[in-house]
Amino acid sequence: MFARQLGATARLLIWLLVGLACVIADSRYHALEGLRSGFSLLLQPVRETLRVPADVATELGGFFTRHRLLQNERDALRIERASLLASVHAGREISRENAELRALLKLQTRPGQQLVHAAMLYRGHDWFAQQLVLDQGGRAKLRPGLPVVDASGLVGQLSQVYASSSEVTLVSSPNQLTPVFIERTGQRGLVEGSGRGVLELKYMPGNADVRVNDRLMTSGIDRVYPAGIPVARVTRVTHSQSGPYLRVACAPLAGLDRARAVLVLRADPPVVQTPLPPKDKKP
Amino acid sequence: MSAAPTSGSWRRILGSLTLALLLEQLPWSGWALALRPDFLLIGVLFWTLHQPARISFGAAFLAGLLADFQNGGVFGQHAMPYVVGVYLVLIFRLRLLQFDPLRQAAQLLPMFLLVQLLLLLIGWLAGNPPSDWSVMLPVASNSMMWLVLVGVLRLWHGKGMQDRA
Repeated sequence: MFARQLGATARLLIWLLVGLACVIADSRYHALEGLRSGFSLLLQPVRETLRVPADVATELGGFFTRHRLLQNERDALRIERASLLASVHAGREISRENAELRALLKLQTRPGQQLVHAAMLYRGHDWFAQQLVLDQGGRAKLRPGLPVVDASGLVGQLSQVYASSSEVTLVSSPNQLTPVFIERTGQRGLVEGSGRGVLELKYMPGNADVRVNDRLMTSGIDRVYPAGIPVARVTRVTHSQSGPYLRVACAPLAGLDRARAVLVLRADPPVVQTPLPPKDKKP
Repeated sequence: MSAAPTSGSWRRILGSLTLALLLEQLPWSGWALALRPDFLLIGVLFWTLHQPARISFGAAFLAGLLADFQNGGVFGQHAMPYVVGVYLVLIFRLRLLQFDPLRQAAQLLPMFLLVQLLLLLIGWLAGNPPSDWSVMLPVASNSMMWLVLVGVLRLWHGKGMQDRA
């Protein structure tokens, strides 16, 4: 039975060649997207089903929360609500003022922006691609490149979209660039993910005014992210001995490893309004 | 080394590999994710050790492609290291079968280490640089999982299991 079979080493080499071909076909030519969609179709229902026990456990845990705990929480929430109401009023005032200033500057907000709610289904291993899988996809008219946010900040960008699921590349994933500005000074810059939940603000000249705890917001000049989404907070600023730039480490504001529910900002591509021809020449 | 009808039926093999796949689909996160053993790899290597005529390179490659999809990596990133793991197990098969679970797990540790290093290397070449030392955690957890798996199976089947397999 075994006489006609190739030796183990030969088989190893053959399979390694096949593997190498796969790597090249996928990374260079993106030729295996069909296989990826197939796997997605196959495993998507499984993932959705397997999330149910975790959800049920959370529900039950919530049910058995002690009464005292709830009371404490209610008191804390009341206080928080009062302070929030105050800030809402302040916010209204600011937004009115902002609208006026915007009108003055004739800045354009992006028309047709819509929100799509999505829940996190599955998380890939941190060290490979830093990806989340969401439960919304092409059916909700998502497409690759759309920004994903949660309640506290920018989560990332859609990188793969399947029929009913999609993959998000996190802001903190290696080589992911996000154009930002420093909220305090307005200076623009680029944030690059460096993996493991750390971001780096690149190319800040040595005399730039960057301080710890500065907040970074998206600047919107790339036409991918709308302006003004919080991205990160500066955690450390060091002067580099070797290069002309500052080394600025930042921590992302969005709950990259906690968020269960996220929003996808779906904006239709900007349509240039052409003036309609006059309709009086009807035959 | 004739295939024993009871301990390695196709149903059992495919069932266990499917279970491994399902376990990987759970919504792992945080430390549990970092420590998660590579169930598919363990399943494939286990059956390579006990049923090399049925499960070897081809199955490992397919499992690797599935794992690549799971982790959002480039196709081939897991497939090639899995194949190398199968090769190592095939080479050291007779030696591995002699040991008790603890020593077997200890002998598999360097193999898991090599598989993980290859995984990182290929990912690195394909453009995903590794980010942290915790990358190496699954090496240890794979060995622990192997120990648990083989220990439980041995209790289940009694001492004679390694003869029948």
